[in-house]
Amino acid sequence: MATPILKVKGLRKSYGGQEAVKGISFEVAKGEVFGIVGPNGAGKTTTLEMIEALRPIDDGSVLLNGINVQQDPARVKQVVGIQLQSSSFYDRLKLTEQLRLFAGIYNVSIDPMALLQEVELTDKASSFVENLSGGQQQRFSIAAALVNSPLILFLDEPTTGLDPQARRHLWALVQHIKKKGITVILTTHYMEEAELLCDRVAVMDNGTIIALDTPKNLVKSLLKRGFTKAQHVEQANLEDVFIDLTGKELREA
Amino acid sequence: MKRYIYTVLVLCRTLSIRFVRDKVALFFTMLFPLLFLLVFGALNQRAGGAHFDVAIINHSDTAFAKQFVASTKNNKVLKVYNNITSIDQAKERMGRGDLDSILELPKEFGQTNDTGVPTGQVVVYYEESNPQTGQTLAGIIKQSLESTNYKLTGNVDPLTVQQKSTKTAHLTSFDYVFASVLGFTTVSLGIFGMANGFPVEKRTGRLRRLRATPLKASQLVLATALEYLLIGLASTTLMFVVARLVFHFNMRGDYLSFIVFMIFGILLMFGFGLAIGGWAKNENQSAPLANLVALPMMGVFFLRFLMPDWLDKITGYLPVVPLVNGVRAITTEGKTLFQLGSELLIMGVWTIVIYVIAIKFFRWE
Repeated sequence: MATPILKVKGLRKSYGGQEAVKGISFEVAKGEVFGIVGPNGAGKTTTLEMIEALRPIDDGSVLLNGINVQQDPARVKQVVGIQLQSSSFYDRLKLTEQLRLFAGIYNVSIDPMALLQEVELTDKASSFVENLSGGQQQRFSIAAALVNSPLILFLDEPTTGLDPQARRHLWALVQHIKKKGITVILTTHYMEEAELLCDRVAVMDNGTIIALDTPKNLVKSLLKRGFTKAQHVEQANLEDVFIDLTGKELREA
Repeated sequence: MKRYIYTVLVLCRTLSIRFVRDKVALFFTMLFPLLFLLVFGALNQRAGGAHFDVAIINHSDTAFAKQFVASTKNNKVLKVYNNITSIDQAKERMGRGDLDSILELPKEFGQTNDTGVPTGQVVVYYEESNPQTGQTLAGIIKQSLESTNYKLTGNVDPLTVQQKSTKTAHLTSFDYVFASVLGFTTVSLGIFGMANGFPVEKRTGRLRRLRATPLKASQLVLATALEYLLIGLASTTLMFVVARLVFHFNMRGDYLSFIVFMIFGILLMFGFGLAIGGWAKNENQSAPLANLVALPMMGVFFLRFLMPDWLDKITGYLPVVPLVNGVRAITTEGKTLFQLGSELLIMGVWTIVIYVIAIKFFRWE
């Protein structure tokens, strides 16, 4: 594996006696897109938030680009970009004003229009965030997470609630970000998304990582164990029908 | 340090832009205090040219009685309701608050006695809750009776009293009330504005997003304090201008002392709102707490003169009392900051206490 930019060791978290994350360890390489999948309550978000210095770590250690998250949370926040699941932006602010605010917080100078260009929102530059569609809001939140040119971008369920068109659009954006050399760590409930975007995937359940490998190897090892699926070779599925009928073009108000 | 302040300023500017775009907030912070000022100003202008609404029930048909009733019409202090003719009707109107008092002239009023001098007694009815009205009116009527007596008989009482209002140094009652109105709006802006603001931003996850950046809680608090200071000063300026233009407010003190004192007052009151809003997780927690803190302070304006001595002394330590007293001392007595040591001391102690509490109990979510 290439040089790891993130080293997680024995990470633990409990809430009121209930262990949500039970001592997990993994490493993420620089420039990798790393996926964490798992059912609700598996501990994905808790894990991310501990790495992002948003939640106190009960036990274990996180080294992010050599920074110890527990000891220096402020420095961690300076070098990561975070797209949170249940957060929102200030209302009554234009997108450019939002981005300038974030630039002010990180003490960096940015070109808001160039950032909006990255996420294809230049025509919405003067809109308020509350007037954007779901897909546009997710793209904007990625733009906001890129303000400080982060080493690692965290995306927590970035495509949940989006229509198929907007989801495909966001996939393209993630691939574009990966090309720029930014490490991406994302969680998702969509396996096709993980398969398409992620170099490696960690499968979490009940606060532990039960499998970690490339999507291809994970599938291979399943087949090796003798798994078979009822084979009826379909040339297309309903999603293909949907995209064929409605086109790939983004639908946004 | 430079970076720290730069972030505070950027955040403050952004918050201010948001505020200006919020029509509802603008109404409640700028226009509402103004309405409040207009209402209080109008009430106190009326008190400045004070008059009493009265009904006169005359049961007597003596010349003296007629002369007396006629003279009341020329009395600027009395506004006589001629359409009220029976005592029951008058009492009912008084119960509704339409009348301040009823003057009743008994049947034998004005009949001359053996020496040819008219005698009689005017009955002045007043509300039990408002004895001052009764006393004042009795005095006015006494004077009026004497002058009627003089016109009819030429007799002069050797000892008389003349009544004059105390418009000290040409200050009107509005000039005194203005400080209270300012204090009142500062309390409501500082406490309610902030106590509601933060919990909403927690509930919607906006603070959560900011928390994912290197922004420090103290920077958020400072930027918000600065934003509210600007809003408070804008509101104060607006009220001041209206007070001058509409109510001819007399400004005795220097503007620097006034502004510095107001800045201090706004930041102090904001501290209370901040402590409540910073601690509360949502509006359900903050709203009752804000009321609990603000209502006693507001009540002090209206009820302090009714309080027994000991309670009056205690309420003097509420932060709002030195604030209002200080503003009043500056605007009506021309005092400077250096002469307001005790006010500044009480406010200073409160400021330290409340900001320590606010920072200690601040919660991002």
